[in-house]
Amino acid sequence: MKKPFLLILISIFLLPLVVRPAIASEIWIFAIFGLGANLLLGYTGLLSFGQSTFFGSAAYVAGWMMKVHGINAFLALVAGIGVGALSAAAVGYLCVQRSGLYFIMLTFALNQLFYFTAYQWTSVTGGEDGMPGVPRPALAGIDFKDPLIYYAFVSLLFLLALFLMKRITESPLGKILQAIRENEVRAEAVGYNVPRFKLLAFVVGGAFSGLAGVLYAMLFGIVPLEAISFVFSGNVVFATLIGGSGSLYGPVIGSFVFIWLSESMSTVWARWPLLLGVAFVLVVMFLRGGLVEAWTRFWTWRSSKQRD
Amino acid sequence: MALLETKRLTKSFGALTAVNGVSLAVEAGSLHSIIGPNGAGKTTLFNLLTGTFPPTSGQILFDQNDITGTPASRVAHLGLARSYQRTTVFPAFSLFDNVWVAAFATGKSWKGLLHKKTSDYAEVTGRARQALQDVGLEQKSTQLARQLSHGEQRQLELAIALAAAPRVLLLDEPAAGLSPEETRRMVALVRALKGRYTMVLIEHKMDIIMSVSDRISVMHFGSLIAEGTPAEIQKNADVRRAYLGGVAA
Repeated sequence: MKKPFLLILISIFLLPLVVRPAIASEIWIFAIFGLGANLLLGYTGLLSFGQSTFFGSAAYVAGWMMKVHGINAFLALVAGIGVGALSAAAVGYLCVQRSGLYFIMLTFALNQLFYFTAYQWTSVTGGEDGMPGVPRPALAGIDFKDPLIYYAFVSLLFLLALFLMKRITESPLGKILQAIRENEVRAEAVGYNVPRFKLLAFVVGGAFSGLAGVLYAMLFGIVPLEAISFVFSGNVVFATLIGGSGSLYGPVIGSFVFIWLSESMSTVWARWPLLLGVAFVLVVMFLRGGLVEAWTRFWTWRSSKQRD
Repeated sequence: MALLETKRLTKSFGALTAVNGVSLAVEAGSLHSIIGPNGAGKTTLFNLLTGTFPPTSGQILFDQNDITGTPASRVAHLGLARSYQRTTVFPAFSLFDNVWVAAFATGKSWKGLLHKKTSDYAEVTGRARQALQDVGLEQKSTQLARQLSHGEQRQLELAIALAAAPRVLLLDEPAAGLSPEETRRMVALVRALKGRYTMVLIEHKMDIIMSVSDRISVMHFGSLIAEGTPAEIQKNADVRRAYLGGVAA
């Protein structure tokens, strides 16, 4: 499994040469968001349509603290991760009581609750206009105002997040969450308190979403209302499925494709989401493991060809 | 001494009383079978014993302690493990992972839950390998559970229960849907486990029951109508009536 890591490293170095640093940063930020969402979707088998709740809450709270109280970047990250985990604990606690369709609807409904709170609370969030004026404070004398330096910072945090998620998915917790996905009844019977493990998945995933949220706010200097909307929640599910849920690198590849496409295509063709729709249908119909599966299929096909 | 005991255990689903005042005592180290026609309440009794749902009334004692109402995930930690009538495994997992995850649940400590590697738990890994070996699937440990034949899945079903290193093993029709050849293998397996575990066995196939059981309890319409050694049960008139279609007097 050294190959994917090497590819990611190369991409990190080459990406700023191809696209603007802001877009390059957005790709890795969205990938962190996807890593967290995939812990629920791919590993635990829980379709949450409310991941932007944690992303957006963290962005607002940490953004506000940087803007009004002038906290440094490190504290902002800690605050964001904390808010992400906490909001996920609250939302998750309610959602894991139910399963199936009711679970999905609850994640969605609670997301709407947070969305309309942000929409109404204009004195803080700016409502529809978003919360502008989020600074990009320096850390240990490093000025992040230079987009390339900020890109390096984001990339570093992404690699750290990837490393952490790799450890988590290879840990007993990763196995247990997958066991819950495979057979909830048996997982309970062999001795796992299933709701509590689902909640743990929420909290860990929420922490990753929170980290992504803060980095997003610092990147654009604004927290748009979209950041807490269900469209954003849908996007991360979408990107994860395209990349390949259930594998560690799936959401990374998905975010890469999704952000790059949306940034490059939106200027060329206003109806570009049509393409995403087609891609989505193709993945669901023929490629349940997403692009990761396409990749492994290609390599097994090639090695079988060489053997002939 | 009874290791597992129920006292007037009752479970009602609305108007239906699936288990009706069942008092049962399973001796430590014995193999105690529960037989009865379809719908007699045998599986419901298992679900009560393992905490899938709480009883309407009555008590469950395990090793003299009242465990009535203990949820399923806690019951496993007390040392009760069950297998299912309908195969209930982790389909996309390798056989080894199937038993590993069951073995880890009852492991000594969950320290390192979030960051240690699964291979770092030597005791758990050992127990998982042993469970596969006990059912004769150790050669296939890297295969996926969903690729197994039905017969092998029934063996895996049993291995998952064994991996928890339980004190009491509750087997719900381990030979369900097996061919005569596979049934013979399963009977040999159950016989080999006899003595190592206290076992409660639900089964329909009479030849299995009569050849392996120490004691047999007979359920009919939710109630116990007879209990005794295999020889006693074979002679019992009520049991014959229940099986041959009459209503028990």
